[in-house]
Amino acid sequence: MPATISEADFDVLVAKTGLPLSAAQRATLREVYPTFQAIIDRVSAPMPREAEPALIFPVEQR
Amino acid sequence: MDPFLTIAEAAKLIAAHKLSPVELTQACLARIRKYDDKLHSFLLLTEERALADARAAEARVMAGAAKGPLDGIPIAHKDIYNTAGIRTTGHSKLLEHNVPSADSVVVQKWDAAGTVMLGKLATHEFAMGGPSFDLPWPPARNPWNTEHFTAGSSSGTGAAVAAGFILGGTGSDTGGSIRGPAALCGIAGVKPTYGLSSRRGVLPLSFTLDHTGPMAWTVEDCALLLQAMAGYDREDPASADRLVPDFTADLSKGAKGLRIGVVRHFYETDHPVSPGVKAGIDAALDVYNQLGAEIRDVTLSPMIEYHAAGTVIITAEAYAVHEPWLKTRFNDYGELFRDRIALGAFISAAEYVQTIRRRRILCLELKAAMADLDILVSASQPGEAPRIDSVPKWGNLEKPSLTMPFNLTGFPAMSVCTGFGAGGLPVHMQLIAKPFAEPTLFRAGHAYESATQWRATRPHLG
Repeated sequence: MPATISEADFDVLVAKTGLPLSAAQRATLREVYPTFQAIIDRVSAPMPREAEPALIFPVEQR
Repeated sequence: MDPFLTIAEAAKLIAAHKLSPVELTQACLARIRKYDDKLHSFLLLTEERALADARAAEARVMAGAAKGPLDGIPIAHKDIYNTAGIRTTGHSKLLEHNVPSADSVVVQKWDAAGTVMLGKLATHEFAMGGPSFDLPWPPARNPWNTEHFTAGSSSGTGAAVAAGFILGGTGSDTGGSIRGPAALCGIAGVKPTYGLSSRRGVLPLSFTLDHTGPMAWTVEDCALLLQAMAGYDREDPASADRLVPDFTADLSKGAKGLRIGVVRHFYETDHPVSPGVKAGIDAALDVYNQLGAEIRDVTLSPMIEYHAAGTVIITAEAYAVHEPWLKTRFNDYGELFRDRIALGAFISAAEYVQTIRRRRILCLELKAAMADLDILVSASQPGEAPRIDSVPKWGNLEKPSLTMPFNLTGFPAMSVCTGFGAGGLPVHMQLIAKPFAEPTLFRAGHAYESATQWRATRPHLG
């Protein structure tokens, strides 16, 4: 189920990005945003608290 | 001269002094001049450089000092590989006049192996999206039918190899950008294990998903090309510090005894493929069975889980790479790349971290599933090449990618042609091996190609 977002909340999101979107470009992203947010939400489903990231910090940088 | 020599065939003829690298290069250049106005596979043809490379190779061969099987072999590079003194654009207006001062590591290595560089190849803008019709150069077209898509992003390499313009070329693969065009153009393409081949000097898209790799007509040719690409690069933070095996060593071992797992739900239910692709995979499994492989089904998490994690990572990391330009030169990008990447601005730090935690869980799942297997089989693309004017803008979000699971996990994977579908265009399968088991991957692919006749059919360009 795609996520929903109000026009006002989406305006806040866009403003935070600082991207110079035209009205048409904003409308394009607004249309696809719920589908994209649903993908993000799927990844953010609960995991064990101790689940480590795939990427670790290599102390000996090269 | 046969314009459709493989690298292995040409190398034998060159070594036997029966084929001149200069004449081979001239034949390739003539073919490009004759047909590439239909395919648009080259962004830049470097004829003088190519002929100089070819003459140098020929001199070495005649002096008994050939460098190996790639000496005198015509190749070209995807235009995200930096080439010293030669324009490298990413197929984008933003780098339209960019001339790097140094070669990428892979370009250096192929030069050192004696390859003959014919030029720079079309790509989707900065190696993502496409086809785009609002860039400084048109998109590459499929040699099997120029009204159809090549897939991408290594679109020019797929088209140029299939058309017989070059014998091999470089690709890059962040979500399927080698395996996709290899599949739709009917060639072979390998995304090696993450870290096996240096990314240094290649325009980045997504640091933790980017892979460099070769594309060629056959699996054997890919093995020869990867041999000259692979190896530790201390200055690439992701590079794996380990010895490079002989990728051709197991080619003649056949498939007997290989343990093959079929991830059937990926291509039958998670993202159902066309009847032609499915029939090609079924027939390939019959071939492997006849060759003595052991085959069984494997179940992983639904492919959407892998796809979702890959999509968040690629979008977030690509946004981070491009953010300065997105904020200052937004309209200099093509619409497709720009709009896809702009979504990265909406991903929070917590969401990115959750995604790389999910990534580890999925990596461990795949590792466990392959514990007693040598090879996995799936599909690379959902069907034959679609018409180039019918590719949906948001196809990357609509259905899960068949290739992304192996960028996310870093396992080596390869597209192999399995014949032709109902539309007369190539179909394929995807083979996957354990990390750093490329010799096994090449063994499985070569066994299939040797047992079938698909490598004997080339596209007709007119």
